[in-house]
Amino acid sequence: MKPLAGIRIADFTVHNAGPFCTHLLSQLGAEVIKIESAMRPDMFRKPHPVYGRMGPATFDQVASTKLSIRINLKKPEGAALSKRLVAVSHLAAESFRPGVMGRLGLGYEALRAVKSDLVMLSVSSSGQSGPDAHFAGYAPLFGAWGGLGEMTGYADGPPVEMRHVMDHTVGMNAAVAALAALHHHSATGEGCYVDVSARDVASSLLGEALLLAAAGSEPHRSGNAHPRMAPHGVYPAAGDDSWLAIAVSGDEQWRALAALIGCDDPRFDSEAGRKAHADQLDTIVARWTSTRDANAAAEALQAAGIAAHASWTTPEIAADPHLQARGAIVTVEESGGKERAAVGVPMRLSKGPEIGIHRGTPALGEDEDYVYGELLGMTRGERRALEEAEVIY
Amino acid sequence: MPDPATPPLAGLRVVTTARGVAATYAARMLGTMGAEVLLVEPPQGSKLRREPPFLPGPGVVSALFAYLCAGARSYLADLSQTEGQAALNGLLADAAILIDDTPLAERAPIGLDEESIGRRHPELIHVSVLPFGAFGPKSHWRAEEITLQHASGEGNLLPNGLSVELFPHRPPVKIHGHFAELQGGIAAALGALTALRVREEIGGQFVDVSSQDAALAVGAFAIQRLGDGSIEHRVERSFRYGGVLPCADGYVELLTLEQRQWEGLVELLGRPAWALDPALADSLERSRHGAVLNRHIREWASTRNVADIVSAGQAVNVPLARYNTPADVLRDPHERHRGLFAPVAVEGAGTLDMLVSPFHFDGAPLPLRAGPPALGEMNRHAVEVSR
Repeated sequence: MKPLAGIRIADFTVHNAGPFCTHLLSQLGAEVIKIESAMRPDMFRKPHPVYGRMGPATFDQVASTKLSIRINLKKPEGAALSKRLVAVSHLAAESFRPGVMGRLGLGYEALRAVKSDLVMLSVSSSGQSGPDAHFAGYAPLFGAWGGLGEMTGYADGPPVEMRHVMDHTVGMNAAVAALAALHHHSATGEGCYVDVSARDVASSLLGEALLLAAAGSEPHRSGNAHPRMAPHGVYPAAGDDSWLAIAVSGDEQWRALAALIGCDDPRFDSEAGRKAHADQLDTIVARWTSTRDANAAAEALQAAGIAAHASWTTPEIAADPHLQARGAIVTVEESGGKERAAVGVPMRLSKGPEIGIHRGTPALGEDEDYVYGELLGMTRGERRALEEAEVIY
Repeated sequence: MPDPATPPLAGLRVVTTARGVAATYAARMLGTMGAEVLLVEPPQGSKLRREPPFLPGPGVVSALFAYLCAGARSYLADLSQTEGQAALNGLLADAAILIDDTPLAERAPIGLDEESIGRRHPELIHVSVLPFGAFGPKSHWRAEEITLQHASGEGNLLPNGLSVELFPHRPPVKIHGHFAELQGGIAAALGALTALRVREEIGGQFVDVSSQDAALAVGAFAIQRLGDGSIEHRVERSFRYGGVLPCADGYVELLTLEQRQWEGLVELLGRPAWALDPALADSLERSRHGAVLNRHIREWASTRNVADIVSAGQAVNVPLARYNTPADVLRDPHERHRGLFAPVAVEGAGTLDMLVSPFHFDGAPLPLRAGPPALGEMNRHAVEVSR
């Protein structure tokens, strides 16, 4: 069975992090009703010139398996309509800047008034409290504030911008927190308010470096180097812009690699020796990798018990039989009939084989007959009046 | 409203035989939200205890282990022996969730395979966390963090922006630390709570999580773009303008996605003549002239301090962020206000501020029960109790 069947989510989230959270929950069986408006469609439904592209950005992926309705939140009647939906939902999710939901009349207290045991989830760049709560933010900014950007990059180069993986890990974290809150609800009957701070999620991914700083160390970005392992890095493979990642842990793996590449230099006998001479070792390993096909070399290294993987491009990932067998890569069909690859929900359940993406991107307002008609019991006339008043708009 | 002293997963017992980062982090996430976490360690202790980076000082105290295992209990059991296996099964009898990352081939001999656990503990949620999962042609493949990042997409796509501009011929660079493995851990926590949702109705089940799948899931954008007909590449995917700006005393991130943010940026720059070119009022034109814009913006930033740029920028609603060092994050007044850190005792290193959780429930930060456990402290405790 779909484990979240029976959970309904009123989804006010926009952009990327929040929608990815509800996208995961929808794949696990929750009924997610995405609220948008032609006045203010999700920014990611629109073209995005700053990325140098005219098509919608990540919208198709994160809108999959959701239902779509229109509500113009700028109108007081829009807030009232939203509350009717929240009253029949278990969870309300939003990712506006802190304070926006309150100004729309849709803050936690207002929503609890219509649904006393509501779980509400807010995802924002810096959390709902604190001096920076009002900051606008996107993935690269969360990564910068949180320390992940500063700690990523070549040792002699600048910090590195975190991109969509940052948004999406915030979304996946938020999904965990939302399920914890729903568990609490099952156990106690109580709702609660969940506040996820994106920059704090970034920081949570470098907890060990923050602890070093707390102890007085000054950790710095170190490229592909590892504090213990050598060889450890990304090495050139045969062909243009083709790379192979290798990490050798312990003497046994080193001996296997040394036999494979024909290296008997005693300086490399111990892990400390290899680490001390990591640069020379990298040159030797690169000499071996540079004439070999990345995938073939990875297989040879794996056969010898060494962690290695070709640096895969997106088409290689989309075509991988292993990822397809696991449902990590799936093919979805858009309403126009066009097929594309999409990413599945990252788990397999022995008693829930049905989880995953079941439909592609909904058109704006596609599911209003169900939501307004069936769920809220609104008449045609009532809906038409709200459409004319630009509330359902 | 729940009592702040009763976090959402209070009353839940999680047992983990974790050896690696992913499974350990899954347990940590559940633990910080109130679950009781029992870490079952071999007689020589978890390998993570010996994994760098180490905290400064005379002892060998792993910062990684301390972070990942803060708040957990430690139970020593030799799972290669029947006594150890029996002890583990005793712990599992009272647990809701098992999180295991034992390599597949080693599971059946010690009774940790899906079938044995399902038979002995039908109500248990059995979460398997492996680099490539427990099913599929590559489930036996070995991985370390760096190879996982390259197996799941983001590895090949970094660095971008200024870094790839400066070093276009270098190998791709990994995200700091254990990013991909942590995604596996987050997905495993998600899987555990998903299965928990239906446990009363249908009993326990086997949850198969792969760090590769999880890291790929958060890299969904590249797959999406592939469906749009374009292949992401670390050089081409840089923002057309903005991004990492070198300042006189550090770096800031600048990203203006909306028209009003661009208008704010023009104000911040002091309305220079080049920025007032009517052609640049159009976002597509700006995108086309990104390199020129960047030259001007970087020149402007290079003589200014980070703090000045950030405060002036926020005042005109331009999304800007300082590239914080770990020490910056640690003393950040915002994070202090949020209670992101809590002091815990770390044996051999004193009392240290440790990151608790990025979540608040009902307006309050979560507590952190304790620092990392001493090896086998639970066995000693059990012996003392039985005396």
